[in-house]
Amino acid sequence: MILKNSTDFLNGYIQIQVEGFFIERFVNSCAKENIRLWRTKKINQSQIYTNISIKDIKKIRNIAKKNKCHIKIKRKRGLPFIIKKYKKRKIFLISCLIIIGLIFALSNFIWNIEIEGNINIKTEEILAQLNECGLNQGAIKYKINTNKIIEQIRLENEQIAWIGIKLEGTNAKVTVVEITEKPDIIDKNEYCNIIANKEGIITKINVTNGTAAVKEGDIIEKGDKLILGWMEGKYTGVRYMHASGNVEAKVWYTSEKYETFEQEENIKTENTENKYSIIINKNEINFYKRLSKFEKYDTIETNKKFKLFNNFYLPIELKKKTNYEYFIQKKKYDETSLKQKIADELEKQMQDNLKDKKIVNKDIIVDKNNKGLKVRLIYEVIETIGIEEKLVL
Amino acid sequence: MNFNKINDILDLPKEVGTDIPKITMLGFNEVLIENYKGILEYEDFFVRICTHIGNVNINGFSLKLNQITDEDIKITGKIENIDFECR
Repeated sequence: MILKNSTDFLNGYIQIQVEGFFIERFVNSCAKENIRLWRTKKINQSQIYTNISIKDIKKIRNIAKKNKCHIKIKRKRGLPFIIKKYKKRKIFLISCLIIIGLIFALSNFIWNIEIEGNINIKTEEILAQLNECGLNQGAIKYKINTNKIIEQIRLENEQIAWIGIKLEGTNAKVTVVEITEKPDIIDKNEYCNIIANKEGIITKINVTNGTAAVKEGDIIEKGDKLILGWMEGKYTGVRYMHASGNVEAKVWYTSEKYETFEQEENIKTENTENKYSIIINKNEINFYKRLSKFEKYDTIETNKKFKLFNNFYLPIELKKKTNYEYFIQKKKYDETSLKQKIADELEKQMQDNLKDKKIVNKDIIVDKNNKGLKVRLIYEVIETIGIEEKLVL
Repeated sequence: MNFNKINDILDLPKEVGTDIPKITMLGFNEVLIENYKGILEYEDFFVRICTHIGNVNINGFSLKLNQITDEDIKITGKIENIDFECR
């Protein structure tokens, strides 16, 4: 029935009112003429409602005349009538078509380039390189030959080990894998010295191959030779070899900072304000007129790209500026608290350097003048130093 | 007579070749009459249909002629009783 109803809807049908004294005869002759009537309903003695398809309406007029009935069209339903209705509204139709066409046309361009996986190489650098190769914002999608671009970039940029370009919708996803720089590993069969990579005092030296050049308690500079890659014998002469061994040294890490007793501190209030603007192809349109109402504030900008569906990026960006208000408060420190504060800060800075290392001693040196404090933090650390250096004969 | 024999051999449904009407009732709300001749009377509460072997009277409330073609007619509505007038 749904199928039949839907075909009726597609073909279009008319609801009519038939009035007359011989309605049964009218219905019978309709049946004889192969005219389909459906949902016939009697309203009163001489009137019925019935449905009829479009193509039968001319036939039915003749039949009605013969049977002395009157026909009134009550309602026109179905697709042909809807189409007829919208035929008059040309601009609506045209704009619909234009929108569909625009979506199709815009989806042929690249509107967004995402780069991920880069740590040392700057994103701008990769973008510039991509631009040179033809992959830029607004490039036509089917003209982009990803294999060629990948080859070209790998040839030009030696830092990139692997690069992949994936075109998804209007989005180009570029995945970069960088080359991790390995220290030069010298072949076991080649001759080498061991030299210091930091300055310090030798605490322990263990030579398994080669001649020791320093002894415990020696002060060494960076680049000094620790273990020599040759041996001198009385009778054998000089014999070169691959030096190896373990050298430990006391190394100092220092950092210092100067701060005054009287300080100005920025304290954030809870007041924030948002300002929006739209960026269309690098042209910015502001939605705000006035400058910020705050006297002092920090600004944080976030950009968001518009996209349709899942990955149809449009060349429009929404820029949100958030202003955080702060005020300046003057604060006075006494000597001990300031010292503590600076020391804490310095310690935090040095935390990265001191990872996985044996700390022997920690020293804080304070220089005082009438305005402020200069704090010097010294860590004494024992670590293995020494890297291989090729012997040039 | 001859046709009945062929029907028996081929096992065809009886209403196909002959003029005998086939009346199908689905529940109490729907009657389908195939092989009918025409509508004699149609009111909201009463439908009288002419077939080749006699008349069919359908009584009820708010009866609708749901589907009319030259071969079959479907009547829906609250049907109270159906009776036949044999010729």
